Amino acid sequence: MSSYRASLILRLLDGLEAVRAALWPTGAARAVPYVFLAPAVLLVFLLALGMLYVGDSSLRVLDRSTFQQSETYSLGNYALIAERTVYLRILWRSLLAAVVVSLVTLALGVPYAYVMVRTASSALRKLLLIGLFLPFLIGQVVRAYGWLIVLGHQGLINSGLGVLGLGPLKLIYTYPTVVVGLIQYMLPFAVLMLAPAITAIPEDVESASDGLGARWWQTLWYVVLPMAKPGLVAASVVVFTITLTDFAMPEILGGGGNDFIANAIHDGFFAVSDAGLGSALAVLLVLIGSTCVTVLFALLGTGTLGLKQRGTA
Amino acid sequence: MKKSIELLAGPRLSRRAFLGSGSRLALGVAAFGMAGAGFGHGVLADEPAKPDEIIVRAWGGVWVEALDAGVSQGFTKATGIKVRHDLTEDNEIQPKLWAAVAQGRTPPIHVNWDTSTNATKSALRGVAEDLSGMSNLDGLLPVAKPVGLDGYPIVNVYSYVYVLAYRDEAFPDGAPDSWQVLLDPKFKGRVALYDDGIGFHPAAQVAGGGSLADIPGNMQPAWDFIRKLKTQEPLLGEDPDFTNWFQQGEIDLACTILSNAREAKMNGIKVSWTVPQEGADVETDALWVPKGLPENELYWAKQYVNYSLSKDAQQVWTSKLGLPGVAPGLTPPEDLVGDPAYPTQPEDFKRLISIPTPVRVEYESDWFAKFNEIMQG
Repeated sequence: MSSYRASLILRLLDGLEAVRAALWPTGAARAVPYVFLAPAVLLVFLLALGMLYVGDSSLRVLDRSTFQQSETYSLGNYALIAERTVYLRILWRSLLAAVVVSLVTLALGVPYAYVMVRTASSALRKLLLIGLFLPFLIGQVVRAYGWLIVLGHQGLINSGLGVLGLGPLKLIYTYPTVVVGLIQYMLPFAVLMLAPAITAIPEDVESASDGLGARWWQTLWYVVLPMAKPGLVAASVVVFTITLTDFAMPEILGGGGNDFIANAIHDGFFAVSDAGLGSALAVLLVLIGSTCVTVLFALLGTGTLGLKQRGTA
Repeated sequence: MKKSIELLAGPRLSRRAFLGSGSRLALGVAAFGMAGAGFGHGVLADEPAKPDEIIVRAWGGVWVEALDAGVSQGFTKATGIKVRHDLTEDNEIQPKLWAAVAQGRTPPIHVNWDTSTNATKSALRGVAEDLSGMSNLDGLLPVAKPVGLDGYPIVNVYSYVYVLAYRDEAFPDGAPDSWQVLLDPKFKGRVALYDDGIGFHPAAQVAGGGSLADIPGNMQPAWDFIRKLKTQEPLLGEDPDFTNWFQQGEIDLACTILSNAREAKMNGIKVSWTVPQEGADVETDALWVPKGLPENELYWAKQYVNYSLSKDAQQVWTSKLGLPGVAPGLTPPEDLVGDPAYPTQPEDFKRLISIPTPVRVEYESDWFAKFNEIMQG
């Protein structure tokens, strides 16, 4: 680089530094991290404000003569939820699905992520990456309708069974259908959370395990999985919380008789025009979901979702 | 008009005065011309400024097509104001309208095409403009008047029946004659209802051995019948689902609005309908205008509602829907003459179950919740 050009660049940089110093004095440098945090804080503040509004609404009962919410606070909506066993049933259904989907996606996601990370074949890695990211280009609703085509009364499977003189079977609009749809939807999320954790396991450690005579499943069980624990925790939390709060899959694949708590919240607001009831269900969902995640974090740590990672102080 | 005649009668008439009176006379004639087109009296030459468009909430499919053909196109032709149809679901736009009025904002739509029950809830909440005084309200059938409300915060625009629709191939010997057919084990998993049971609760009351006089005091027969129906694993959905399910062969029976069954049939799906011996629920839909609109837009929103009540608009609109309108003297569609699901005479309503709107408004949420409780079990 010519000395003239170098001189010009240095002068430019000096100019930019002068502008920076004028706009942001050196003494204010300590505030820089907080400035970068500000958008996140603002977002969380808005979310918290929304939750406060929902919480306030949950304490106001609907007056059916005017369809206005009460001016005074009461626990009437919560009492109504406790009275109606259907909400307990729906909550149990949602929690069960969240647990089952989390466990199955972990069981399927670990081998997928492991092969994707460890394979020596770049073609296979690319194929697995495409398989991982392609579903994100297709919305959840479209994928749910895809299951209708596959599992419907005149769908692919029943048509095939018909050719063999069998069926048709009732494969759609059942609870297992909803769970299967959710597993398909959540699997990419689980793999995305597991892959970095598996990448962080040094290959030498696995080689050492093999060298000491461990079988592949022993290496997997005693070496890989414990070291991948942060990823397992992160995947569990993400899949659990999204499944617990899902609306579209139960709505489309459930046939109306397999609602999750999000569907019940929707009905509270829109089917019976009772914002207080819908809000109370929403508050309960947040409390239950938060409790489950807190317990998981307390038992197993925050995994790759936490600030403190393996190898740091 | 009187001033124009006086000017014309004066001994010395200037050309300017003649032209002025002539134009006022012409505008007056044009106003009466619009009356002939369905606007009635009262549309004056000095009408408020016209908005570029008015937004009318409508249900999709055959519903919005019928509204467009019968009302919106005619309104646009007469006034030059475009009509945009908002297809947000009635249940979803309701909290938006309530919130807009409560917060003093302009509502997102000008006219809401709604169920009379939902419209009544909005009227009770005080978010609906009074439509009294519209010219086309005169002479409408009594069913147009909202029940349990003062004046006309809403106006009912047609009746509809929740029929028992069935796939022709599943009933080669003819229509089923009772709602009990829903409990036939061979139709397990092949029966459909609305996801909150709307339109079915009164029929279930009778089918369950109860009486209409016990509604709403004792609905146990209805819940017992619905509990039995639960073992049939019915599908629960909305209007578009029924058409899709009939088309895909997923169901043989459904409790659905006549318009949906008729539309499916007209699109080549082999489906028919009947009013079983226990009767079928008959309800009405309504139009209402939310509060908070600018004055000029409010005026034209009311004009839209007024136009929808004219005989010309009602004839096209309700014929396409296959539903009896509220304007007198309408000609029923050929395929529905004599159909018990298309009541036109008082005796036709004897087979139908009509629950007063105030009862629905007060108890519908409980009925939905109870239905949900049974079906989600």
